[in-house]
Amino acid sequence: MRTEDGKAQAPAPAPPDGRPARPGESNGAEQLPPAPAAPPAGAPRRRKMGHADFSSRGEPILWTLGGGLALGVILITGFLVMVFWNGLVTFYPGPIEVVTLKDGKLVAGEPARSEVFRPGPEVLRTLDEAARRAVAASGGYVSRTLYRIGNYDLYNEDFRWVPEFEVREVRTPPDMFFIERLEWGSFVGRIKALKRDGQVLEAGKFGLGNLRGEHAEARARWQRVRRIERTEIGEVNHYLEKERLAVRRAALAHGEGSAQHREAQAASAPRTEALKKRHAGLSAQAKAVKEVDEKVHLVLADAAGREKEIRLSEVVRFYPANSLGWGDKAGVYFSRWWEFLTEEPREANTEGGVLPAIFGTAAMTILMALAVAPFGVVTALYLREYARQGRLVSIVRISVNNLAGVPSIVYGVFGLGFFAYIVGATIDQLFYSERLPSPTFGTGGLLWSSLTLALLTVPVVIVATEEALSAVPRSAREGSLACGASKWQTIRRIVLPQAMPGIMTGLILAMARGAGEVAPLMLVGVVKLAPELPIDGFFPFIHLERSFMHLGFHIYDVGFQSRNSEAGKPMVFVTTLLLIGLIAVMNAWAICVRNRLKRKLSAGHF
Amino acid sequence: MAAAAPGLGLEMEETVYHVKEGAEGANLELENFCLWYGKAQALHGIGMKVQKGIVTALIGPSGCGKSTLLRSINRMNDLIDGLSVRGSIRLDGKDINAPGVDVIKLRKRMGMVFQKPNPFPMSVFENVAYPLRVDGVRDRRMLADACERALGEAALWEEVKDRLQENALGLSGGQQQRLCIARAIASDPDVLLMDEPCSALDPIATARIEELIARLRGHFTIVIVTHNMQQAARVSDNTAFMYLGRLIEYGGTNEIFVNPRLPRTSDYITGRFG
Repeated sequence: MRTEDGKAQAPAPAPPDGRPARPGESNGAEQLPPAPAAPPAGAPRRRKMGHADFSSRGEPILWTLGGGLALGVILITGFLVMVFWNGLVTFYPGPIEVVTLKDGKLVAGEPARSEVFRPGPEVLRTLDEAARRAVAASGGYVSRTLYRIGNYDLYNEDFRWVPEFEVREVRTPPDMFFIERLEWGSFVGRIKALKRDGQVLEAGKFGLGNLRGEHAEARARWQRVRRIERTEIGEVNHYLEKERLAVRRAALAHGEGSAQHREAQAASAPRTEALKKRHAGLSAQAKAVKEVDEKVHLVLADAAGREKEIRLSEVVRFYPANSLGWGDKAGVYFSRWWEFLTEEPREANTEGGVLPAIFGTAAMTILMALAVAPFGVVTALYLREYARQGRLVSIVRISVNNLAGVPSIVYGVFGLGFFAYIVGATIDQLFYSERLPSPTFGTGGLLWSSLTLALLTVPVVIVATEEALSAVPRSAREGSLACGASKWQTIRRIVLPQAMPGIMTGLILAMARGAGEVAPLMLVGVVKLAPELPIDGFFPFIHLERSFMHLGFHIYDVGFQSRNSEAGKPMVFVTTLLLIGLIAVMNAWAICVRNRLKRKLSAGHF
Repeated sequence: MAAAAPGLGLEMEETVYHVKEGAEGANLELENFCLWYGKAQALHGIGMKVQKGIVTALIGPSGCGKSTLLRSINRMNDLIDGLSVRGSIRLDGKDINAPGVDVIKLRKRMGMVFQKPNPFPMSVFENVAYPLRVDGVRDRRMLADACERALGEAALWEEVKDRLQENALGLSGGQQQRLCIARAIASDPDVLLMDEPCSALDPIATARIEELIARLRGHFTIVIVTHNMQQAARVSDNTAFMYLGRLIEYGGTNEIFVNPRLPRTSDYITGRFG
């Protein structure tokens, strides 16, 4: 057989007379090998053939390939289902169970989850005979339920495991309330009374509807205080700081005590005075509202009757968990989602919303795309179209590809060391010297984060752009050049438009990678809680130097850095769901843009 | 002159010219033109004069250097790394490979049509206006006039006048090739180079292109590469037969086809090899 193959691969020998070999002649010798036509010994030969037949006719590897794909699909689907399910059910209000334990104590809470465990001998020893027998009958396993008991200020824990053998009775009393507060997490218990201007109104007589009305008023007062303190006083502070900086700038430019410095001080003094007066007025307003607020209190009691008094305005949301209809439950569910999407976080990020993080993630990704697109495309254009293809360009290309594999934290270190400490510090020296020693650009911020991620994702864009450029057919370039177009005109008018869908694909990949990246950001600008959004109403409106919040970092922070990881867990899933959703939306948008471009380039109408 | 070229089975022979040296109105003159791709020589001492306003066909078997020769005339081969040339190609007496020549200006004087129709993915109008656009023409009126004139000359105006803003890729193959011809003549060049313009088309579209070439004869100096002997016989005034990078025989089409002087030419024309 081997000699037959060898002959087949060798070029057909030319006939000695110099005529070109005719196809029929040379093929005849190859296609009619005499050996396999007549196998001399039947049995062993045939078995061998049968084996060969199996792998040549059947496709045994197909199952491996298909199985690999199926496994991948199952894993991804399972992951998505898990995130979606956990994320979607988190905000759904559950019932509150009041458990009477065998020792007579009461545990009230929202059941979080159940599991089966095997109690140790030291636990079993404390049980009575009947309970021990019941445990032994089920093979030594007992089920237990995790209750979200809330009331951290009373119990010093948010969650509690209750094993089955400790339970005497489980009830769901209709007057149990789930109360979300600004501080100390949620409260599980009954509403005893409302205290208003010293008079005590029993909750039973006062009525839930009236209480809701009072609550809405209290929340409106709280919002008002927040608006005064945040927005209005914030504005005054901004202008005060501006005045201070103006005086300081004059001092730095012309020297302490110089004529210009004194002039600036004199000019600034009346304005500062006015601002301070406004500040005092606003503070007084806020104080007045707070005084009213101070007079409205809610008296709560836990299942065992321990009382706790809080200001009504501190209550974010309250509902009687066991007497809710479907509509009420849906109302609570959507109001929680709304809060999640539009509010700031509270309770060390484990409660409240993630608006600043959504905003920070989107702003950073867009800035990154703005930085990486021209940078990557220009680099790829030079590499592919202009650079002389040789050893040097090959080395550069391999290096670019390898850059994509550098651990992202390394980019974070580079971003901090180069952008923040070198470039940023220089900018501070040159333009923001009056603010020193507190850094402006000389520390992590939105701009440095975007640029660091741009650097991280630029290899993706370069590789995709190079591929897109090389996929533009030679005939299109030649057609353009033959028309008398210069190289640049050909690139700009013919090559780039045709490569645009491929370039967009690269950019989409880069954005997806960048939006989900966390490690480098921890070094160059992401914070647990940013006091201000990077965009506001003060000139220049976009504050690239500010630190920001990011959904990816938020997940890490809530899941692993918070007081109670159990309390943060639902938030981890919801935030993950949101991050996936945000990246999906941004990618879908980019894909839409790409497809529009593609349609324009392919056959059909404009 | 009969030096052996070893291994090729071809004797070095002098080109046989039927066309008289110094024929009037030579537009393109090639003199001892040689071309190398790296170390491989692709063209060996080509010398020919292409007369103004007539159709000259380049024929020969695959790999004989016809396309290379055609692409040398508007220096499209410049794109290839490691290319070197010797000898001269003169357009109106000026060497196109001389150091001071502006390649872009040179290409603007020569339209080129390729083997496969290659319209740009833009509207029909923009395709035809492209050579003027890259020349810096912005005036809408001028572009429209040039577009109508070029499409008219390319016998496409009647078919596309209502579809000027549609994507050119929506046209049929034959229409696309005529569009490419319109694009090639839009900036009113002196020379039109055609590289097997009908090889990707069906017989009817081919017939229309051939009619078109006949109509353009006289307006432009046309050099056409073709594999189709009948086509060469039908459309051209002069024919050059090339083999293995050499110009074998060059003369009036009638003479070449009816009365070839060399046996190799007659073998090729009658289909005995190639």
